[in-house]
Amino acid sequence: MKIVGVSACSAGIAHTYIVQEKLEQAAKAMGHACKIETQGSIGVENQLTAEEIAAADAVLLAVDIKVNGMERFKGKPTVKVSTEVATKNPVGLLKSLEKALAEKKQ
Amino acid sequence: MKKALSEFKKHVMTGISFMIPVVVAGGILQAIGVAVYGTGISQMEGETLMWYVWKCGNLGMSLVVPVICAAIAYSIADRPAIAPGLILGFVCTYINAGFIGGIAAAFLVGYFILLLKKYLKVPKAMQGLMPVLIIPLLSTLVCGFLFFTVLGKPIAALIAAIVEALTNMQGGSKFTLGAILGALCGVDFGGPMSKTASTFANGLLVDGVAGPEAVKLVCCMVPSVGLAISALLGRKKYTRVERDSIKSAFVMGICMITEGCIPLAMNDPLRVIGSSVIATTITGGVTYALGIENYVTAGGWFIIPLSNKPLLMAAMVLMGGVIMGVILTLWKKPVKDEDETGGIDIEGAADVEITLENL
Repeated sequence: MKIVGVSACSAGIAHTYIVQEKLEQAAKAMGHACKIETQGSIGVENQLTAEEIAAADAVLLAVDIKVNGMERFKGKPTVKVSTEVATKNPVGLLKSLEKALAEKKQ
Repeated sequence: MKKALSEFKKHVMTGISFMIPVVVAGGILQAIGVAVYGTGISQMEGETLMWYVWKCGNLGMSLVVPVICAAIAYSIADRPAIAPGLILGFVCTYINAGFIGGIAAAFLVGYFILLLKKYLKVPKAMQGLMPVLIIPLLSTLVCGFLFFTVLGKPIAALIAAIVEALTNMQGGSKFTLGAILGALCGVDFGGPMSKTASTFANGLLVDGVAGPEAVKLVCCMVPSVGLAISALLGRKKYTRVERDSIKSAFVMGICMITEGCIPLAMNDPLRVIGSSVIATTITGGVTYALGIENYVTAGGWFIIPLSNKPLLMAAMVLMGGVIMGVILTLWKKPVKDEDETGGIDIEGAADVEITLENL
């Protein structure tokens, strides 16, 4: 499964990056490809390219605030959670995403 | 209902995320001026170059309410809401409706603009005028007029009442307020509870009450110090990975980023959060009761010297750290061999409730 996503927390200095690390690690351990763009107070880092978004099976938004560039994900299956959920249980989140995608395909 | 609440939170949080850098830059510059020349700095134009530093900060602080107001409005109704939001924020500052007024005004502006976008139909030829003329003009006129005539006064009165109540608070009630604020900061290390306490303290700071801010600062710095002390006291009670996390949590804590403590808290929630809350409750209460103030909203150890009582403030951080460190060390169990392996548990992870939708 290929996942792209955005993380953004209210202060934009810590949770944003914790979420990125946790999700990318969890995805790696589960054998998925995952790239999370961070929209912290410093601005956008690890920016997603149009190709990466096009190739992705799902979009995962772990955000507490309004994020930029939502129009890029038009038509993509998307899940939105708070940064809290993504920090606490990244593996469970990805598992549930897997399930939801499989159900959708049927 | 739940959705409405999370939308509300998202808008306020967006506002705060835009506001923080303004408060930090403005607050620190202002505090530097006050730290050097005292509060008399405001009258020292032309006498010292430091006045320029102070004035930059001072002007910056006057932008705080406009910026949060504009950012919340932007979060609700996108770009066209920025200009009216800024203006309404200035209206709130002008009529002393402060921080709470700014948030209320932002919601008024934001939803008013959403209504305009939805119901105000203009001929195609004039559509270009919507974002540049019609929306900013109408929303500023209507919302601004409403705030001046009807909505602003009760909010201003409320703010004045809160500020007065806080200024007149004595001994015991001071301790209680400080303790509650402190506990909120200590319970989730920068999560929603901390942000609630922080918003409360920042809001009061904008309205000129700086005691709660000092409580927030101290209690956000306590957990990382507490963990570090505990790791020094009881090395055997932490795994190798945990000791590494504590090191980085401590360094992050110096800059007042409490989130570094979260990995430790997740491994052992009851003891870590328990000891943290006990420590921050006591420390928060004492900090407020001692009348420690700080006009800066963030910056960790580096802004302790800018407090009105720097030594006491440093002592508070240390005191909280020692309380937490000692309790946690006594409470924690020694590490067993199997704890050392760690890693990511894929089988055991619980499902998360999510909804998949196509954008």
